[in-house]
Amino acid sequence: MAKAKLKISGRLLKKKTRKSGFSAAKRCRFTSGELPESAIDYKNVDLLKSFLTERGKILPSRISGNAAYYQRKLSREIRKSRTMALLPYSQNY
Amino acid sequence: MMRYEVLFLTVPTITSDEVTAIETQCAALIKEHKAFQISFERWGKYYLAFQVQKNDYGVYFLVRFEVEDKDKQPLLEALKTFFAVKHNELVMRFVITALGENGALEYHRPESLDSAPSREYNNNGYNRESSEDVSADLE
Repeated sequence: MAKAKLKISGRLLKKKTRKSGFSAAKRCRFTSGELPESAIDYKNVDLLKSFLTERGKILPSRISGNAAYYQRKLSREIRKSRTMALLPYSQNY
Repeated sequence: MMRYEVLFLTVPTITSDEVTAIETQCAALIKEHKAFQISFERWGKYYLAFQVQKNDYGVYFLVRFEVEDKDKQPLLEALKTFFAVKHNELVMRFVITALGENGALEYHRPESLDSAPSREYNNNGYNRESSEDVSADLE
């Protein structure tokens, strides 16, 4: 008996091609030793800015690649920095 | 001994007399609670990330001190009252942070508008680095 060929939906095909696309390897910049833990400080605005989106939202760890411990610490410092008006809550266009 | 720091943001129109008054009163308060003031730094004028009390600009100050564990609670309470109540017209925001026991004192801060070199254009549209360079050329 011949096997019935499975139909692949357009959405699934799109998902498959997206997965196979090239993307830079995610890694935590703190765990790898590229940046010291002491660099995570609410006064270090230049570093904290690199973990924000264009709109000023905190980048999720699934995108930035941060380890959970450093992600928690980073978001705490970003919130402190926002309180002091060093970083924006949201960026308006 | 625990190290603490207070970063406070004042209105951009603060005068040098008012800064001196805050500095001396803050030093007296810290001394009164048997603590030791490490530093009092003026960061300078900054363009704020958003308007605070209808101000686009603000002046930041950083105070660092060391205090014994038994004296820390009254001092922190006194500092909160000092910035939030006594100087509520000058101080717009403040944050008290524990640096830990013998915490590192090095830190990185954003560049202020005071220290940023001013760029000037002469009549030919030529770009100069700072006003000091212009005066040096004229001589």
